[in-house]
Amino acid sequence: MNFEERLLMELKTEMNERAARRPARGPLRRRLPAVVAVAGVAAAALVAVPMVTGTENAAYALTRNPDGSIALKINEFRNPEQVERDLDELGVTADVSYVKPGKKCAPGRFSTIGEPRVTPEELRSKDPAVRDRVRKAIENTPSARAHDRMPGGGLRIYPDRIKPDWTVVMEFTENEDQTSGPEKPRALWQYLFQVTDGPVKPCVLVDDPSWDAPIDPLKNPEAFPPAGG
Amino acid sequence: MRFRRTGPVGISTDPEAFEAFYRCHVEAVTRFMARRVDDPHTVADLVAEVFVAVLDSAHTYRSGLGSEIGWLYGVARNTLSAERRRAVSELRLATRISGRRLLDADDLSRMEERLDAESPARRAFEAMAGLPDSERAVLELVVVDQLSVPEAAAALGIRQGTTRVRLHRARKALRRIPGVISPTVMEGLR
Repeated sequence: MNFEERLLMELKTEMNERAARRPARGPLRRRLPAVVAVAGVAAAALVAVPMVTGTENAAYALTRNPDGSIALKINEFRNPEQVERDLDELGVTADVSYVKPGKKCAPGRFSTIGEPRVTPEELRSKDPAVRDRVRKAIENTPSARAHDRMPGGGLRIYPDRIKPDWTVVMEFTENEDQTSGPEKPRALWQYLFQVTDGPVKPCVLVDDPSWDAPIDPLKNPEAFPPAGG
Repeated sequence: MRFRRTGPVGISTDPEAFEAFYRCHVEAVTRFMARRVDDPHTVADLVAEVFVAVLDSAHTYRSGLGSEIGWLYGVARNTLSAERRRAVSELRLATRISGRRLLDADDLSRMEERLDAESPARRAFEAMAGLPDSERAVLELVVVDQLSVPEAAAALGIRQGTTRVRLHRARKALRRIPGVISPTVMEGLR
């Protein structure tokens, strides 16, 4: 990327921030926690990722890295079936859903391997020792080990950590308010990445009340990772 | 190359329209600055400043008053004269996007190439320094920046007739200073 491209990105960020400052425009700004766990049986690693708007036109990009990992960068939330077919060619069975803001796939449509043993109370705990244990438990699940977030947005998938009979279930939600940038990081999309060794039922949309829950950046700094993180 | 689909009115709010406008004109704006400033970092800052100013002032564009490039060069001229009035530290504070921060080594060498290519133009500006401001402004835009008379009039916010008169006077004055301006630049004056 050269000077002209970088400047264009900065200018678009400036435009977005101006649009955000303009009153009475669009839906309420939504902020999402970096790690939201669904209470109960399925403590899902649901991660919100800030992303600076790029200039690519393709809906998504899949590339195989020299180390064998696969980079998945989604630019537009359309045609998930094609993502599934392309991942299949790279040896990964995947079930990809794009979900509208405020909705989620109904829980229980598949059974995650190696669910972390974490209670809802522990997830909400402010005790650093408990938080540290929770973080480690979530980071060590097969689902977490099978992928990473890429700097600048996107996922890195590690096929060698996914057994042949496993299916990767991915759900992506894009924020309607696409205003974010280096100076004001904000979640533009969130994703769920889970591995299962059983069948995956189709996604049935249900309301996701957590999407609308406002989150105070001062009280939840971890919900606002730096842009590109 | 002129961007005609959407006037600049929409570019301050529509990211796609802005991107098209930017891609169409960023090279011209960079060269405009390279003809007047000989430091690559300052050129980068000024280019960033011009496009921020475009976002600020797209509402001032009126399609009847002249071409888009004329309007944009007007914005560029205002940006440059504002920069010359202010102290450098003030500029740094006022700039919302720092252009020089976005330059890498490759960009710097490309910027240096443009600065080299535009050095005859910078010499021409020095030669024109003795002209009255109003005449010099017209001559700059028409001869050095290659705008048409209507475009230059739009950039300066003056009538086309006035532009022609000033251009004529400036040409006459410069003809009396032989050897000051390189022949390539003088070609446009005959």
